Amino acid sequence: MELAGLSLSEVLTVLGGFAAAVVVLYLLKLRRRQVEVPFVHLWQQVLAEKQTTRLFSALKRILSLLVALLVVAALAFATGDPRYAGATDEGRTTVVLIDASASMQATDVAPSRLDAARERVAPLVAAMASADRMLVAQMDASTVPLSPLTSEPRLVEDGLERLRPTDVAADLGRGLRFSLDVLAGQPRPRVVIVSDGVLGPTGRVAERAREAGVEIDWIPIGEGGRNVAITAFSVRRYPLDKSRSEVLVELFNPTDEDASVELELSGDGEPIDVQRLRVGAGERLRRFFQNVTGADRTLEAHVAMADGAPDAQPADDRAYARLPERRRARVLAVSGGNLYLSAALLLDEYLDVTEVAPADYPPPGEFDVTIFDGWVPPSPPGTDAIYLAPVPAEGVEGPFVIRGEIERPFFDRVDRDHPIVQFTALRDVNIAASLDVELQDGDRVVAGDTGAPLLVTGSRSGRRLIALLFDVRRSDLPLRVAWPLLLINSIDHFVQEDARYLSSYETGETWYVPAPGDVTEATLVTPSGEERLVPVVDGRAVCTGLEAGFYTLRAGETEEVFAANLGPSDEAILEPAEALELAGEPAGEPEIGAASVRTEIWTWLVLLALAVIGVEWFTYHRRISV
Amino acid sequence: MSRRQLVWLAAALAAAAAIAAAILVRVGAGELTVELGGEDYELLAPRFLAVAAITPLLFWGLTLSLADLPRAQRWLAAVLRATLVACLALALARPARTTDATVVSTVFLVDVSESVTAESLEAARARVQSAWDARGDNDVQLVTFGGSARLVPLDSDLASIPELRRADEAEDTDDGGAATNLQAALQLAYGLFPPGHLRRAVVLSDGGQTEGDLLAEASRAAELGVTLHAAPYTDGAPREVAVTRLEIPERVRVGEPFSVRAHVFSTAATEARVRLYQGETLNGLDGVRDVELAAGDNEIALRSVVRVAGPVTYALSVEPEGPDRFEANNRFSTTVVVPGRPTVLYVEGTPGRASYLASALTAGDFEVDVRSPRAIPTTLAELERFDFFILSDVAADEVSLTQRDVIERYVRDLGGGFLMAGGENSFGLGGWQGTRIERMLPVRMDSERRRDQPSLAIALVIDKSGSMNGQKMELAKDAAIATAEMLGAEDYISVVGFDSQPTRVVRMQSAANRIRIVRDIGRLTARGGTAIFPALDMAYQDLVVTRARIKHVILLTDGQTQESGIPELVQAMRAEGITVSTVGLGGDVNRALLQQAASLGGGRSYFTQDPHNIPRIFMRETSTVTRNNVVEEYFQPRLSEPADFLRGVDVASAPYLHGYVATRARPSPAQVTLVSDLGEPILARWRVGLGWSLAWTSDVKNRWAVEWLRWPGYSRFWAQLVREHMRHRRRQTLDMTAEVRDSEVRVVVDAIDANDEFLNGLTSTVHIEGPMGGRGDAPIDEDHALSQTAPGRYEARIPLERFGSFVLTADHQRDGRTVAESRAQLVNPYPREYMTLEPDVVLLTRAAEVTGGVMNPTDARLFDPGDERIEHREELWPKVLFVALLLFVLDLLLRRVRLFDRKFKA
Repeated sequence: MELAGLSLSEVLTVLGGFAAAVVVLYLLKLRRRQVEVPFVHLWQQVLAEKQTTRLFSALKRILSLLVALLVVAALAFATGDPRYAGATDEGRTTVVLIDASASMQATDVAPSRLDAARERVAPLVAAMASADRMLVAQMDASTVPLSPLTSEPRLVEDGLERLRPTDVAADLGRGLRFSLDVLAGQPRPRVVIVSDGVLGPTGRVAERAREAGVEIDWIPIGEGGRNVAITAFSVRRYPLDKSRSEVLVELFNPTDEDASVELELSGDGEPIDVQRLRVGAGERLRRFFQNVTGADRTLEAHVAMADGAPDAQPADDRAYARLPERRRARVLAVSGGNLYLSAALLLDEYLDVTEVAPADYPPPGEFDVTIFDGWVPPSPPGTDAIYLAPVPAEGVEGPFVIRGEIERPFFDRVDRDHPIVQFTALRDVNIAASLDVELQDGDRVVAGDTGAPLLVTGSRSGRRLIALLFDVRRSDLPLRVAWPLLLINSIDHFVQEDARYLSSYETGETWYVPAPGDVTEATLVTPSGEERLVPVVDGRAVCTGLEAGFYTLRAGETEEVFAANLGPSDEAILEPAEALELAGEPAGEPEIGAASVRTEIWTWLVLLALAVIGVEWFTYHRRISV
Repeated sequence: MSRRQLVWLAAALAAAAAIAAAILVRVGAGELTVELGGEDYELLAPRFLAVAAITPLLFWGLTLSLADLPRAQRWLAAVLRATLVACLALALARPARTTDATVVSTVFLVDVSESVTAESLEAARARVQSAWDARGDNDVQLVTFGGSARLVPLDSDLASIPELRRADEAEDTDDGGAATNLQAALQLAYGLFPPGHLRRAVVLSDGGQTEGDLLAEASRAAELGVTLHAAPYTDGAPREVAVTRLEIPERVRVGEPFSVRAHVFSTAATEARVRLYQGETLNGLDGVRDVELAAGDNEIALRSVVRVAGPVTYALSVEPEGPDRFEANNRFSTTVVVPGRPTVLYVEGTPGRASYLASALTAGDFEVDVRSPRAIPTTLAELERFDFFILSDVAADEVSLTQRDVIERYVRDLGGGFLMAGGENSFGLGGWQGTRIERMLPVRMDSERRRDQPSLAIALVIDKSGSMNGQKMELAKDAAIATAEMLGAEDYISVVGFDSQPTRVVRMQSAANRIRIVRDIGRLTARGGTAIFPALDMAYQDLVVTRARIKHVILLTDGQTQESGIPELVQAMRAEGITVSTVGLGGDVNRALLQQAASLGGGRSYFTQDPHNIPRIFMRETSTVTRNNVVEEYFQPRLSEPADFLRGVDVASAPYLHGYVATRARPSPAQVTLVSDLGEPILARWRVGLGWSLAWTSDVKNRWAVEWLRWPGYSRFWAQLVREHMRHRRRQTLDMTAEVRDSEVRVVVDAIDANDEFLNGLTSTVHIEGPMGGRGDAPIDEDHALSQTAPGRYEARIPLERFGSFVLTADHQRDGRTVAESRAQLVNPYPREYMTLEPDVVLLTRAAEVTGGVMNPTDARLFDPGDERIEHREELWPKVLFVALLLFVLDLLLRRVRLFDRKFKA
């Protein structure tokens, strides 16, 4: 037995104080009322009888005192909130992992699977013995405890109230790892998984749990229902012609019956296309929308049953995508005449190209990027620059110190991670000769021969540069698709367009969203309007989200919208699993005993006091006690 | 009991029932919450209020009272006792007050992974101890973590924090310390904060995380009201040397030396010995080197060469002088896939002499397949297996039209390399003039006539018997016309047609009269029998009287004839310097007679079933007999235009060639690299479609190139020439990237074709193999499907818990046929824990900032609630019980002290 309220000394102090008061009161003698009698001898006999009952009266008095002391003691100990000591070292320790993945939003059981999960957990909480301890956690892409590990059922019930649905796939492996962390060293460890059983692989952690003697139980949720889901939705601009896009939509019908659906595609909030499709039983139907031009910012797909009735899983009926915003790049090409350069720049209609001869440099106007073709300006340019064979005239300081020339170099080393070489095949490019240059600190060789760089990025005088260290006209590079791609990638790199842009992130994953490099924090606004601060490291906001939809990232003066969708998963499958196999063994069903009366001792003490007080009231008035 | 008392009892019971019912109804209607003085009060177990329903019974008890108390005092006692009962009922109903709390609960998250030094751990323990001592009413808890997190129980009467041990040294963990998961530690902390406490967490770590992401978790921590402080370990990493990268050029070829660049990080300047392994053996060129490492990153370049194609694993190990904490990061391996040895198809007209070039190419790391002309592939699929095709000294008539078409497509469409080498049966001598192969070559075969060209008189003796009717006759006429056109103006030609009688179709005349000759040949018609002798004799008569240095007869027949006299006639002709060649068409010819005639006549005999071959045979025969394209003289080839593939080959020191076939270079972009003394091309090349076409007009064997076979540069010359011009890629290659994140390989393939279109609907599979280089006992060798996630994008996620280097190859199919392939290498050298060489202060700072936390908080800051408050539900039943106790004492007092009617007298 131990006390959870007042300490023992405090309880004894209270008891002592009130007991003393009670004793003192019992020492007091009630002043008898004066009764005048007409003839005292008539009462002599009565008084004589009273003498004979004195002993009995004394006993009655002591008994009454003891009853009063019993009441005081019961109440004083009740204030100490006494508990069984076994509550902390002999009971069962349970972690309840409640699946909060997208499939738990299904309405095949009313009102939803998540509510059903709450209801199924309630008896488990109600049946907690005083020695048991429990923690309830939400399991989605990660696992977050909703309550502390406690023997207090009320705290667990409060935790259940905080359970929220998400648009992610559940990661049981992480859930089990978390459970093992919590249960380490705890008596009689148990994990109860409350889920529809559509869970991914767990890896070795399930075996570790079994080896650690952790009992794993499963409470299945769900009955199954019809559903057609959007399982993939993305859009990409074509690498060269960025005014056009291609859209992929994948529909999945996980049921045993064919389904007729209506697929609607909206761009910037306006409908672009509506199609009626038939998705066979178990079929993953892909649709490509090519040359999509009706949207500049956002795309949304929505699938609905053709008969107008809702399906059992509304969470996967919508998907979202964000197109990379296009803005015209103002390009200045300074060249003595290079048809290959001019032709390549014509390929992207989002380039505003101004061509001038070196003698006319600098022309009036503002530019984002300047391309110097075989010529180096006498002073550093005021824009980011692309240098093609940057050989400075005599007396002019170029971006590189040129040591000589290298004959017949090849692209032996290509940094494939760099965005300016994406989609380019440079391996077999034949080059007559390239410049042998001295690199400066901070220069990065993106591609080069074993002995010399050919494509370099860096910065000079606070402006970024990309340098191709050979004359393209003395190579067969211009005859390849790689040439315009290299140029357009370079310009995109300067104007912050990334052809590897992803039209949506996966919910539950960690996102690295581009943000201005000079901020350390940004504000993320979720689709439901909640705002939170997220850190920015190396120009990327690191964050995550559990809702599908459009998010807004505010960083400094800029605001960027991006989309998030449920990633590839089996969340569309509503048919509950027949068994949950973990480490080769099926998870058992949790034993739920009869809901026990919560054995809080203080309540019993108070009830005892109440009973005594009630009975004593009548005995007093019938003068059985005093 | 009197009737009156019974009435009162009934009334009391009714009142009790009414009170109980009212309470239960109210409780059932919803929460019992009231706001008083800005604070919310509620009953957590309101049904217990119904206990108060017994109070009417207390009042009924008064009706039975025998107590010697004034009436007022009895009533007062009843009220007091009822209040006491109500109080106890209220206590049982668990009243609670929602209030703001400022007590702080702090969970210390102490990194005990392997990258942490003992000094850092001791500093962390001291930090927790300091907070423990200063906590006051606040709560302090301790979690240690590596790959997983563990709560360290701290009893409230604990005097000093227990010693912290690294995860790899602790006995009660099974996951080792080669991992750090800050996110998991923080998530565990969420479940440790007691209700009603302000939530604080303090991370004591080097910030190196191998799993999870603290930054992503930080914003969730902020949402949950957790303020995260951080205290980075300042002792730094232990003395450490680690190989952080091993770079190998993208393009490595068998036999070509290259540099392996190793990046070695050292926390302090030190000396070390590096060893580079190729596979399981030391790298041959540059295997061991002693280096001086500066503090920071060091780049070390070592030369290597791959001798055998296929995946080659390089491993670099470092043995530093002095202390080094982690041994695992002293080794780094990576794999490069070196394309298989290039394959050369070498078709030699005289296979017995093929060994010279074949040996030279084999020495240059080529697989050489020597074949006779009959075995030239007839399908593109078969020829596609080869990277270079050499056709040496093979006559045109030995290569069918189908084979020529395949050769051209191989070069033009598949990017194959093709070289025609000279010889007696090559170029013009082989009848290649005017063919599509000639058009593909960088040289023309109609060479300039040379001054010492002998004049020629040729007599074509053509069978025009009835059996030649139709296509045979027409092709024979074409052959005659082509022969006439091949001759120069100073040459002479006559055509004798014969059936049972000879006819002079073209009288012996200068070949300059082409129009007339062609017209006369066109008059040939087939009829009658076959009599060779008179026709041959007529040709003999014509040639005898003609002045020419070379006199030659070509006899074409498709039938049987009498042998008598023919051998003698041919012998006579031979005696007059007239040579005779014979062409037998079809299966009915007298082969023995024709062979004999050719043999006696010093010429050649040809037999063919296909009349289409007749023109080629005539042309070849004419070229042979004129030999006007052959230059047989000693010369040293001169470099006309430098070429990259001649790097390291001293052509100036090359020995003499003994002859070549004269050709003319085509105009630019054809490049002539080597020329003869007369300036005629010896080696020329140009691009044809995707491939290269080359002409080597001398031969490659022991006739004209006999001295070259002994030249040390012979093998290198041919190896470099072939390597430069061979086909490099067989299929479209799609970009594939692979990276390891959270023990998972993420593979992404970008499928975009040359027309800027996304490749959709491919059935793609990625194969992962490794760890390469023989490390480990259970290598992975698995196939995984790639699924399309966006237009032109395919992805796969593959669990990976092994370390080393891996090779990934992807096969992309459409309709069951492979249309593209991808290849990538993946390096997962050692646990990321061993890459943590410097504290990641930025990470910890950002994570702290986003939750409102600070770096290195003092104890005062830690337990300072500031303006922060947290809602706390305070249970009030203990206080109510105090009140009940007081009421009980008062209740007793009322019994013991007469308050009213003290002077009462009965």
